[in-house]
Amino acid sequence: MSDKPKSQTVLVVGGGIGGISAALEAAECGAEVVLIEKAPTLGGRVAALNRYFPKMCHPTCGLEINYQRIKKNPRIKVFTMAEVSGISGSKGDYTVTVTTTPRHVTPACTACGDCAKVAASEVADPFNYGLAKMKAAYLPHAMAFPMRYVVDPSVVGTPEGQAIKAACKVEAINLDEKPESFALQVGAVIWATGWKPYDPKNLTMYRHGEIADVITNVEMERLASHDGPTKGHILKPSSGEAPKKVALIQCAGSRDLNHLAYCSRICCLASMKHAAYVREQYPEAEVDIYYIDIRAHDKLEAFYQKAKADPGIRWIKSKPSRIEKGASGEPVVCGENTLSREVYANAYDLVVLATGMQASAQPPAGAQLDDYGFVVSEEGVFGAGVATGPLDVSMSVQSATAAALRAVQAVRS
Amino acid sequence: MNAISPNPSRAYDLNFARYVYENIDGGERLRMCMQCGACSGSCPIGQQMDHGPRKLFMMIRAGMKEAVLTSNTIWNCVSCYNCVVRCPRKVPITYILHDLANLAVREGFDAAKKADNARFAKAFMWSARKYGRTDERLVTGIYYFSFGLLEGMKRGMGNQKIALNMIKTKRMHLGMPHAIKAKDELQNILAKAQEIQDRHGKGA
Ligand SMILES: Cc1cc2nc3c(=O)[nH]c(=O)nc-3n(C[C@H](O)[C@H](O)[C@H](O)COP(=O)(O)OP(=O)(O)OC[C@H]3O[C@@H](n4cnc5c(N)ncnc54)[C@H](O)[C@@H]3O)c2cc1C
Ligand code: SF4
Ligand code: SF4
Ligand code: SF4
Ligand code: SF4
Repeated sequence: MSDKPKSQTVLVVGGGIGGISAALEAAECGAEVVLIEKAPTLGGRVAALNRYFPKMCHPTCGLEINYQRIKKNPRIKVFTMAEVSGISGSKGDYTVTVTTTPRHVTPACTACGDCAKVAASEVADPFNYGLAKMKAAYLPHAMAFPMRYVVDPSVVGTPEGQAIKAACKVEAINLDEKPESFALQVGAVIWATGWKPYDPKNLTMYRHGEIADVITNVEMERLASHDGPTKGHILKPSSGEAPKKVALIQCAGSRDLNHLAYCSRICCLASMKHAAYVREQYPEAEVDIYYIDIRAHDKLEAFYQKAKADPGIRWIKSKPSRIEKGASGEPVVCGENTLSREVYANAYDLVVLATGMQASAQPPAGAQLDDYGFVVSEEGVFGAGVATGPLDVSMSVQSATAAALRAVQAVRS
Repeated sequence: MNAISPNPSRAYDLNFARYVYENIDGGERLRMCMQCGACSGSCPIGQQMDHGPRKLFMMIRAGMKEAVLTSNTIWNCVSCYNCVVRCPRKVPITYILHDLANLAVREGFDAAKKADNARFAKAFMWSARKYGRTDERLVTGIYYFSFGLLEGMKRGMGNQKIALNMIKTKRMHLGMPHAIKAKDELQNILAKAQEIQDRHGKGA
């Protein structure tokens, strides 16, 4: 290629594990990097996981190492609460418009938490998937980066907002902050916008939201997390009691032409992990896994074999047809066992739907998407992590490294 | 074109799955079945079926022609479509079961000809062809007496009370059977349907 790229900067959109890895790899190769994250913090969905398969380590360690690398690298500029609102140009010469949402808290914040103490009203807590609420002045979660509070726009212009502002000793709160827009010149773009859980409301036969003790796998991660709504105790949402019989339903919305046509790839392993969470907390508890077939991808067969060796886990080859409400409101899982042909109706204390991964809410502006909404890499614009299709963390990091390499080549050739 | 084995006494026909895929109404989507069991688990008649749709579909793949075409699963489906709306592979299960029932009769399987629902369907079609509607007395009569004189009388007597109540509430009438006005038009429609089905059955 004869034209020298006009800009040598790489833009990374999305600050989950995929985007963080892509930004670091590109910057450590010497490229200038701008990392844009819609949420008030980096970390993405892995920050909301309790532990990672296959090693069952805490997501904190992985994220912490990466945050240190970002802090040490002067080539990476991070913008949180920022989104791409427009993109034009071609490889080597893109003009990107970035729009920011006010945080109302300046970098002077020491994360002391005084503002949250005086905040009275509560807002929805997306980190806990709606299982809990949070104060209108909040830290998104304990592993936030930047470690800086946010004041919710709902209190701006109210006496409560004034009280919150007054509580800050270092005067870090600015309630007059307005949305802003600025333009960036970049040579390559990496979309790492990740995923969202498939909406269980669409799975009407499983009655999530209608039967209290039917939850999703992402909710299970929050119930099992020490910083979650139950402080890490897996409890029945209906009564707060410990569950004795738990069902995990695989392919809830995946591999289904009425929902997501593809296999979400990680949910079999995630459910085995959830079975382990339950069995560790309650050694007497029984866990039934309902599956079409188990897909323990890649090198992770050993994880499956370990789960299979646990006598407390039963494997039922069946896609349950529906969940009914039992006499005391408990979920009753109904279907046909395809090995025995028995038609069953089994009551449980807790049912977990292994909902799949759907491409992130807003299709990234300017990116080419496949039939399912995942990013297709092309000249100058690349996908990384789950934005390209369902992947686990290690595969997301691999895909991010590949995207970084291609982006660096694009801005140098 | 695949021809189904002409000898009904042969239990297995290795060509059977392909025959079904190519000739049975909705059969081409049967290839997509992944044996998940959502259909049989959804079926309100499941307990009255010897195999249920999922297992029946596996038997088709295994070439178990005779067992499939003598199964009661193909007759007991009540077309509720519970399975169809839930099937993750969009297999038109109901169509397939009904067309297999048709095939079983065409292939001359005794179990199919004697199936309860086959007898009823025959009586129903007779009335529909002749009068353009079902005449309750004649349809039930033909259906009951298809089991023989004695059995027919027994069933008729057994349901006397229901019959009287139906007459009282004008759900069944006495006197000559009523035919619809444009009977010949309906007969044209039925003839056309038969023609389409025959053509379809030959994979056209
Ligand atoms: C129940 C469950 C359990 C799991 N458990 C494991 C496990 O144990 N081990 C494992 O390896 N994997 C696990 N996974 C998979 C893991 O969550 C993903 O591999 C990982 O989240 C992928 O990271 P990502 O950066 O690609 O996407 P995300 O984590 O979704 O990050 C995307 C980021 O982009 C941001 N963003 C989105 N749109 C925009 C936009 N328009 N502009 C700016 N920013 C945007 C989002 O706010 C987010 O921060 C699990 C998944 C599920 C569903
Ligand atoms: S905004 Fe002020 S009060 Fe709130 S955490 Fe930060 S420093 Fe503390
Ligand atoms: S990973 Fe397992 S649960 Fe998830 S869609 Fe694939 S088969 Fe279903
Ligand atoms: S529901 Fe569909 S895919 Fe599942 S077994 Fe029945 S026909 Fe096959
Ligand atoms: S349509 Fe037939 S096979 Fe399907 S669920 Fe209803 S009765 Fe059962």
